[in-house]
Amino acid sequence: MVNNNTLGLIFSENSEASLGELMKFRSLAAVPVGGRYRIIDFMLSNMVNSGIANVGITAGFKNRSLTDHVGSGRAWDLARKETGLFILPPPETIDLNGRIMGGIDYLSGAMSYLNRSRQEYVMLSDCNTICNIDLEKVMDFHFEKDADITVVYTEEPNLGPRELEKHILFGVADDGSVSDIQIYPKKQKSDAAYMHMFFIKKSLLIELIEDCLAHDEHVISKNILLANLGKLRIFAYKFEGYKKKIDTIDAFFEFNLELLREDVRRELFGEDKKSIYTKVKDSVPTKYGREAEVKNSFIADGCEIYGEVENCIVFRGVKIGKGAKVKNSVIMQKSQIMDNCTVDNVIFDKEVILCSGKSLVGESTYPLVIGKRKVV
Amino acid sequence: MKSKECVAMILAGGQGSRLGILTKDIAKPAVPFGGKYKIIDFPLSNCAHSGITAVGVLTQYQPLELNTYIGNGQPWDLDRNDGGVYVLPPYVSAEKGEWYKGTANAIYQNIGFISGFDPKYVVILSGDHIYKMDYSKMIKAHKAAEAAATIAVIEVPWDEASRFGIMNTDEDMNIVEFEEKPKKPKSNLASMGVYVFSWDILKKYLIADENDPNSDNDFGKNIIPAMLRDQNKMLAYRFDGYWKDVGTIQSLWEANMNLLSENPGYEINDPGWKIFSRNPAKPPHYIAPKSKVKNCYITEGCEIFGDVENSVIFQGVTIEEGAVVRDSVIFPDAYIGKNAVVNKAMIGTDAYISENSEIGSADDDSVKDFYNTKICSDDITLIGPNVSVAEGIKVASCSMVTRNIKKPSVEKAAGKKSVKGTATA
Repeated sequence: MVNNNTLGLIFSENSEASLGELMKFRSLAAVPVGGRYRIIDFMLSNMVNSGIANVGITAGFKNRSLTDHVGSGRAWDLARKETGLFILPPPETIDLNGRIMGGIDYLSGAMSYLNRSRQEYVMLSDCNTICNIDLEKVMDFHFEKDADITVVYTEEPNLGPRELEKHILFGVADDGSVSDIQIYPKKQKSDAAYMHMFFIKKSLLIELIEDCLAHDEHVISKNILLANLGKLRIFAYKFEGYKKKIDTIDAFFEFNLELLREDVRRELFGEDKKSIYTKVKDSVPTKYGREAEVKNSFIADGCEIYGEVENCIVFRGVKIGKGAKVKNSVIMQKSQIMDNCTVDNVIFDKEVILCSGKSLVGESTYPLVIGKRKVV
Repeated sequence: MKSKECVAMILAGGQGSRLGILTKDIAKPAVPFGGKYKIIDFPLSNCAHSGITAVGVLTQYQPLELNTYIGNGQPWDLDRNDGGVYVLPPYVSAEKGEWYKGTANAIYQNIGFISGFDPKYVVILSGDHIYKMDYSKMIKAHKAAEAAATIAVIEVPWDEASRFGIMNTDEDMNIVEFEEKPKKPKSNLASMGVYVFSWDILKKYLIADENDPNSDNDFGKNIIPAMLRDQNKMLAYRFDGYWKDVGTIQSLWEANMNLLSENPGYEINDPGWKIFSRNPAKPPHYIAPKSKVKNCYITEGCEIFGDVENSVIFQGVTIEEGAVVRDSVIFPDAYIGKNAVVNKAMIGTDAYISENSEIGSADDDSVKDFYNTKICSDDITLIGPNVSVAEGIKVASCSMVTRNIKKPSVEKAAGKKSVKGTATA
């Protein structure tokens, strides 16, 4: 059923995520992943699959590829009459004074959208946690607990020191209420890691944003969640499925290669899961040549494969020539690896051309990244 | 309604009975083709690329699948403010109601629809052929010649000409005679079932034809001969691309296999002339470490653990470890179990081939109950949609399997299908 009382807000940028070369020309949300998707497809599909028919995407300044990708929202069934898909750029008047944009700065660009929409509740989420989550359960939990804010978390035991620095951990009481919030702690006192998703009444959200803006506060976790701990009824909903946060090149590479695991594919795309939608390209099926040798790979439509491919994620419209040996790599849309090339541990951005006989080798712990439209 | 210069009408009501079990529940234009398409995607995409934005699809036989597939026409860019695609089934009016009696009658019954656009030209297409054609060029030729009708023709081999409707023309490509399946063809220019008519002229002939109680109400048998008799200017428009009638199991199989050849005769992967289709939201396909995949077409949503050679695999197909699929076409969501062998076969949508079974077997102990040389030829085996074949069963080649084949022993393999979701390796 369509949920006419909730709107979605997705942040297309995240100041804590840096994907280097892959974000040179595009926002975090528009980074291609998983053979035929963009990062935002997962969260956008989750919202739509949970009945949300009105979704705003807060945009940064590099939003061409994002707007091109989502278009009218039709692929997600969001080309609607009154609701639908809205791209929300930051307000022109924003004065950052040299500091980076925080979540509340992005939200300030969404104020008139929030005010004008008829929905009473808001589901907010970062775009870069890849998962297939039923958000209706989060909403049900919220009403059952009579919460003011419901945050979504996942169990993350044994975080290393470098991982801990990037996590927000909750103390969760037996009744599901949040008793403690630790932002980027040094020591792990809880396994409940925040998934950067929360559900809230719209009027309360607007009030909190206005209050933060008036106090020159810009960070959602600190200024909205932590500042209201003990003042508002904050509850935590536990998500138990597969999730992967993409905030570094390493995480990006890991996530893509994890799709070669059957359990991961089942968690994200299984028959009992709702579909992940993306822009339709009308590609032809992938063609395999007589000499193709393909092992353990995840391959989208529209490719032509004549060489050897092993442990790879291959996006739509990729060509791999005869005698080429391609291993452990992520090859984005329309890239071409010509005859007799050798490739290992490389991330090819879109439309890269690797000329015949060339060799590119990275390390599994440090994949080589070749930027968009480069000719090697 | 705003007027349109040209309206296209696609005849999609045919059963296609020579496709046997494949068209038991769906009309021929809804038959899957080429890994992700349905036959009707070709004329619809051709219309979209030719700039024709008002399209009627005439359905009659088993229209449900076509209706839902076409929907609002958005996949073909035919969801338009003015025009767009319309599914036109037969209807009942105050005076009478009747089925479409023939191709001409189907258009006759929709004179109101066409006239609503006030078009100068009407393009009549059949929904049964695989080809890529720019109708706008043909309309241009029709206009330049000030013809009453223009009929697309293609050269066919002389020894096959007697299977087609043959156009005999003068040196200026004016049609002087039309012969349906002539024993002794005078020309090898076969009609492709693609016509451009000047609407005001066609309308007159449709009305006259309807008033003739002895008419078969058919374009080839009645309308075209009548127009020729009256000395209308009738032009043959030569098309020299790939055109394939996929009316039989053998020709459908061949047209699929043709995609795998070095030179299929047309480019299906053409960014400027994509064949549009309704794309399912499925992830990329997965090829497992032990599988071998050679010379094939594979689509999104497949999970391939076995070996696949010279085959076309549609979306959502699972091929388990040890299975071997050769020279075959596997329709959407079919399942091929462990160590099963599929040899020169077409496996219907959602069919379930259990482990250790063999489809297209030449062995003496194979099941021969479904032997059907009327529908199947050239040793092609056809497994119907939703049919399941139990473990270890060998199905003889040239069979058309129309119902489930259970295990001969006491232990029945019924209900196999329900385990599909968990049966992957």
